[in-house]
Amino acid sequence: MRARRTIDLFARGDERPSVRLEQSLPTRGHERASRAGERLPRPAAPQPQVARGNGIPPPAGGAARAAPTELWLGLHLAGAAGQCAPQGLQRLAMRALRFTPRVSLVPPDGLLLEVHASLRLFGGVEGLQHALRRECADLAIAGSLAFAPTPLAALAAARGECVLVLQDAARLIGSLAPLPLRVLRWPQEVLDRLASIGVRTIGQVLRLPRAGFAQRFGATRLADLDRLTGRAPDPRERFEAPVRFRCRRELPCESASHGQLTAALAPLIEALGRFLEARQCGVLALECRLWHRHAEPTRCVLRLVDPLADAARLTELLGERLRMLTLPEPAHTCELRAGEPVPRALCSSGLWQSGEHGGLPEARGSAFIERLRARLGPEAVQGLAVVPDHRPEAAWRVTEPGACAPSAIASGDFAAARPLWLLPVPRPLRQRGGLPRHRGALRLESEPERIETGWWDGHDIERDYYEAVDVYGRRLWLFRERAAPHRWFLQGVFA
Amino acid sequence: MNEASGPAYAELHCLSNFTFLRGASHPQELIARAAELGYTALALTDECSLSGVVRAHVAAKERGVKLIIGSELTLECGLALVVLATDRHGYGRLCRLITRGRRAAAKGGYRLTRNDLTETLAHCLILWLPGEAPRAEEARWLAAHFPGEVWIAVELLRGGADRERLAALAHLARAMGLPQVASGEVHMHVRSRRKLQDALTAIRLNMPIAEVAGALHPNGERYLRERGRLAKLYPPQLLEATVQIAQRCTFSLDELRYEYPSELVPPGQTPASHLRRLTEAGARRRWPRGVPPLERAALEHELEVIAELGYEPYFLTVHDLVAFARSRGILCQGRGSAANSRVCYCLGVSAVDPERGAGLLFERFISKERNEPPDIDIDFEHERREEVIQYVYGKYGRERAALAATVILYRARSALRDLGKAFGLDPDACARLAKALQGWDGVERWPERLAAARFDPSGAVLSRLLPLAQTLLAFPGFPRHLSQHVGGLVISAGRLDELVPIENAAMPERTVVQWDKDDLNALGLLKVDVLALGMLSALRRAFDLVNELRGTRWALGTLPAEDPAVYAMISEADTVGVFQIESRAQMAMLPRLRPQCYYDLIIEVAIVRPGPIQGDMVHPYLRRRQALEPVHYPSPQVEAVLRRTLGVPIFQEQVMQLAVVAAGFTPGEADQLRRAMGAWKRSGGIGHLREKLLGGMAARGYPPQFAERIYRQMLGFGDYGFPLSHAASFALLVYDSAWLKHYEPAAFTAALLNSQPMGFYAPAQLVRDARAHGVEVRPVDVCASDWDCTLEPEGGGQPALRLGLRLVRGLSQAGAARLLAARTGSGFTGVQDLARRAGLDRGDLEALAAAGAFAALSGNRHFAFWDVAGTQKPLPIERVVRGHGEPAPLLSAPTEGETLVADYASVGLTLGRHPLALLRPALRKAGLCTAGDITALPDGSAVCTAGIVLMRQRPTAAGGVTFVTLEDESGQVNIIVWARVGDVCREALVSSRLLEVRGRLQRQDGVAHIIARRLRDRTALLGALLTRSRDFH
Repeated sequence: MRARRTIDLFARGDERPSVRLEQSLPTRGHERASRAGERLPRPAAPQPQVARGNGIPPPAGGAARAAPTELWLGLHLAGAAGQCAPQGLQRLAMRALRFTPRVSLVPPDGLLLEVHASLRLFGGVEGLQHALRRECADLAIAGSLAFAPTPLAALAAARGECVLVLQDAARLIGSLAPLPLRVLRWPQEVLDRLASIGVRTIGQVLRLPRAGFAQRFGATRLADLDRLTGRAPDPRERFEAPVRFRCRRELPCESASHGQLTAALAPLIEALGRFLEARQCGVLALECRLWHRHAEPTRCVLRLVDPLADAARLTELLGERLRMLTLPEPAHTCELRAGEPVPRALCSSGLWQSGEHGGLPEARGSAFIERLRARLGPEAVQGLAVVPDHRPEAAWRVTEPGACAPSAIASGDFAAARPLWLLPVPRPLRQRGGLPRHRGALRLESEPERIETGWWDGHDIERDYYEAVDVYGRRLWLFRERAAPHRWFLQGVFA
Repeated sequence: MNEASGPAYAELHCLSNFTFLRGASHPQELIARAAELGYTALALTDECSLSGVVRAHVAAKERGVKLIIGSELTLECGLALVVLATDRHGYGRLCRLITRGRRAAAKGGYRLTRNDLTETLAHCLILWLPGEAPRAEEARWLAAHFPGEVWIAVELLRGGADRERLAALAHLARAMGLPQVASGEVHMHVRSRRKLQDALTAIRLNMPIAEVAGALHPNGERYLRERGRLAKLYPPQLLEATVQIAQRCTFSLDELRYEYPSELVPPGQTPASHLRRLTEAGARRRWPRGVPPLERAALEHELEVIAELGYEPYFLTVHDLVAFARSRGILCQGRGSAANSRVCYCLGVSAVDPERGAGLLFERFISKERNEPPDIDIDFEHERREEVIQYVYGKYGRERAALAATVILYRARSALRDLGKAFGLDPDACARLAKALQGWDGVERWPERLAAARFDPSGAVLSRLLPLAQTLLAFPGFPRHLSQHVGGLVISAGRLDELVPIENAAMPERTVVQWDKDDLNALGLLKVDVLALGMLSALRRAFDLVNELRGTRWALGTLPAEDPAVYAMISEADTVGVFQIESRAQMAMLPRLRPQCYYDLIIEVAIVRPGPIQGDMVHPYLRRRQALEPVHYPSPQVEAVLRRTLGVPIFQEQVMQLAVVAAGFTPGEADQLRRAMGAWKRSGGIGHLREKLLGGMAARGYPPQFAERIYRQMLGFGDYGFPLSHAASFALLVYDSAWLKHYEPAAFTAALLNSQPMGFYAPAQLVRDARAHGVEVRPVDVCASDWDCTLEPEGGGQPALRLGLRLVRGLSQAGAARLLAARTGSGFTGVQDLARRAGLDRGDLEALAAAGAFAALSGNRHFAFWDVAGTQKPLPIERVVRGHGEPAPLLSAPTEGETLVADYASVGLTLGRHPLALLRPALRKAGLCTAGDITALPDGSAVCTAGIVLMRQRPTAAGGVTFVTLEDESGQVNIIVWARVGDVCREALVSSRLLEVRGRLQRQDGVAHIIARRLRDRTALLGALLTRSRDFH
């Protein structure tokens, strides 16, 4: 038997077997892009690949004092207060890894690069500036950047949109002086208090007596200033690219059999299980791709109600899903791609069984629904919820399965009887002598129930409802409009 | 089918809109509809409330419908019932039960138990409301405790199971031995109110309608149904039972006999003899040289009428309040019609000398024909009125005294806000909607306004919302909740809570009856209006300041009368801060009318009112006064009435007297005429009086044009004309305040500042005016200021005015008190010393620093804040160590602009330059001139200026015109914005703080206005400058 090539560490066709961990972003948008086959930017060749997981700890940003050899590039994303900010920042950070391994995020809108060592490689300050601007433009991100010997100064200058290119620590304070204090992102209350003593710029605040300042505005603010000016070290946490599971293997032989496919997928799923277990995460979506000789790859997507990491369950559910597939031709390779890992509630086996005292009642129901949905498709299984509204057509709605407890439906507090089967739209009835007919004469069985409501959303109704029996003995639910011409309609059928 | 045919029926369970946010029809509408349908009777059974019964009673008398009084109640245990009063005793018990329930809960709610029911109820009938699932236990309990007085209410509302319910209740009735009766749980008079009722439910539940759809009534059957329909639903004996119950309920509100409190009469005296004694004593004080014969005769006449009508206790009650206030040094003075009475003058209730205010008319106050209780309104110092109210509660007890209620009606703003919420609009859209339809506009202009605010009036939501809003705003106004009247106190001899239910007000220590002043009037209950007047507080303070400074003993009414210098000042419209005549309209009138004596002041007060303006009396009067037009009188009788106002009727009393002398009305009829004048717009008819008036005048030989003119002028009066008596009372305060302003401007300004909020002007304008009159104003200073503004004597002349700590925004009164106490020892050495000794927290210190009050200790505000930031909660050791040796920081001085903004933000005024002085270069560049420049321009010039908006006024009488007053560093400018221009530039008009105006200058009798052609919002120039306009509507 051929050695299994289950694991693949490197991006393209490297021979070493390993799990290929894809660098990606923990967002939906990217998930979609990635499925559509779009590639993420790879680090450029000469840059060393970033070690992940328990890699080298980032060198602290200087032991006691910022090393004179450091040069920080601060990047401030303009208009990044919006929701897309973290995403843009992450993507930019991924690209920035190309220039230096020492990239730090300052959420929500700041990025720091220590570029001293990269200067020569990328054409100096000019070249780097240029390259980063291009990356920004590429991602449609507007930003401003600045270079300074300390990270905070670089960031502050970038925020202040001050075109600062400063490699000389001695001139730092003078260059920062005109910047407004807001670039330090201190709480508004502190800025207000500083404004009340007429201090609005970094230069003004640096002129205040240190002790007096610390006493009035806190030692942490003073420490901020010290980091800003390089008086105190400013270690920054390093940005790590997030990971996502993707794994592929060739089948022993081309096959369209369900059994062989499941068997081939089993080790992949186990690897996924271990991957998730190690991160204490689960997945909400899973995609299985099957490659054929001629046809386009077949894709099979599994969606889950709760984050899941259990390999057995996943195998079972994916099996159900695969069973529904018809393959255009036999497959030769299968691949498993998991969605973004999400934290999941860890569970251990309970002492009590489901349904027993102390047991978890929903566990079984949700598994059943998942299996049903896996087999019939997500759209085929839906829940029902009762809506408190007197209009029959507005009194219920479709929900996610399990979103509404069955007891809530049973206890719909209506005095009068309602049929379980309602027509989607009331059906007009013919009438003779003012009485309705439906496959023959109808006999009205009840007194009228008057419903007049719903005017606020344009679906005002004014009706008298009756129960009626048709010639076949079926009990129907009818209504007569109160307004002329007093038409009759069939609304539902009693079981 | 004729809607008024069918078996006899009385509706016994009916809610009006006084069951707030449940009932959707007015009591009057319900009564009128019941009359149309030929109901035998209608019971008004608002939930734990009798607030609507007086209106219903009045309407029922008009329509000839029998009204039964009752209330729907739901007890704590869930038992729901309707209680109906059978007779006076039962009514009293019902009132007590409601009082008990209301007093036991917070405002708006009630809490009752079965115990309350058994302990309180008697002579009442009970309809048990069985609810969805009838509980036999409830029926059993009721049957056991109220034998023969309980019915099962059978309410069939076409829920689809009416037959079953009928059968089930019949079974229960047999089992319990209780009779059944039909009722309808009526929420509205016609079914078309269903939508409004649904919307009110959503408002009550504070959720959008779509989300409470299940809580709404499933159909609109809860209305007054035709008897024919009821006959199809109910067995005849159930309908018959309604009539039997109605027959057992014989009580009518007409049976209420109100008695005045009587304990003020000393033993051995009758109310009449006691009142005479007090009056005689007062007369000796008022006329030390003996009562003039004319006054003596008038006094005797008054006492006679009072005795005949039995009103002595009322006068004694009022006298008691006034005497109490005097004993506490609280200034008070009667206003309104009481000044027509010499008895009130003698009792010290009114201060108007009948000889000085010639033309006072006792019948305006009390008339035999009217047989209505007199109405005495007394103003007290606004900050001390609560003492008087609590005195009344203390003296008479809470079962005998309470405040009158005010029914708060839906206004455009509240209606749109509530409905918007009910329709699920987000709060922002609700606010925009309410703002777009601000109270300034009538309903007919809504579509236009909405379009301007980018709403589509025909859109899905608005097309449904607006008709409901219109119903809420239609006459007579839809009640929203009950509030307390500004000061109407009701006091009775016996238990007040057996006359009318009493409930808690929102304010602690206040209780309110469930009726408003019209209700009380309609039933003849005594009410004393204990009102608050800021000017009385200010006058008392000014007298105190002056007396202390000068050693004088000035008091209300003792200042040298008729001082020409004071009138000269008034005639120049130099009246900022003076009572009444400080408003812009008054100031515009003063240079034209040029008052020279007390009577002129009365006219001045009365003439600048919507009534005289609408009745076109102002210009004829001014022309005649300036001798531009001859005065002639059609007869000597008319001349006698109108001579003092040059042939133009200006006061209500004159109109009444004219009706008497020229049209042959009796004084009582003339008073009816006055009331009709007040109400004609609302009830739409003085037609019959018109006939009589014109006929009477024709019969006495007056030309028809004269009669017509008088009639038109009467219409103009409406509610908006002042009676002479009222104007005369106010004119006294006008003179006193003007005298103080003229001779003691520093003390006067200090008193006004210490009495804020009051009056027309904000502290900034008052201080600016005082400085313009040469008063030196000194800033707030922790080393010199008191809580109040004080005077710092400067030789014998005007003292300097030291601003008080009360002006410092954000400074706690307790903190200020500690500061003042700490200062009594030695002076402060610095901020840290002050903070420690006075124990001030950071908030107070920062407030003081923001006000610039540390100038003496720290220097400018920047240093003050640095010092304040450096203060710490004293630790035992630190106290010794800290404080000295800290290096001084390098702080820049605040700029003039910064100081100015800080001044406004904290103290509300600046002693530096006017903000516009700082902006002047920019304004000059924009081609804008100053108020000072404008004084030099001729009539008709094109002008373009800008100023801070001091106030906007849109008087109802002015037909859509808005008056705006702008201020800049050189003075004030008055702007007239016609409705058309206002519409075009509405945003700028409504929301600008700094407004640019282009227009034409109009100059007349020394009064200048700019007629605006274009407005522009220039607020952005002000930056952070905090100025607030005072808007008057």
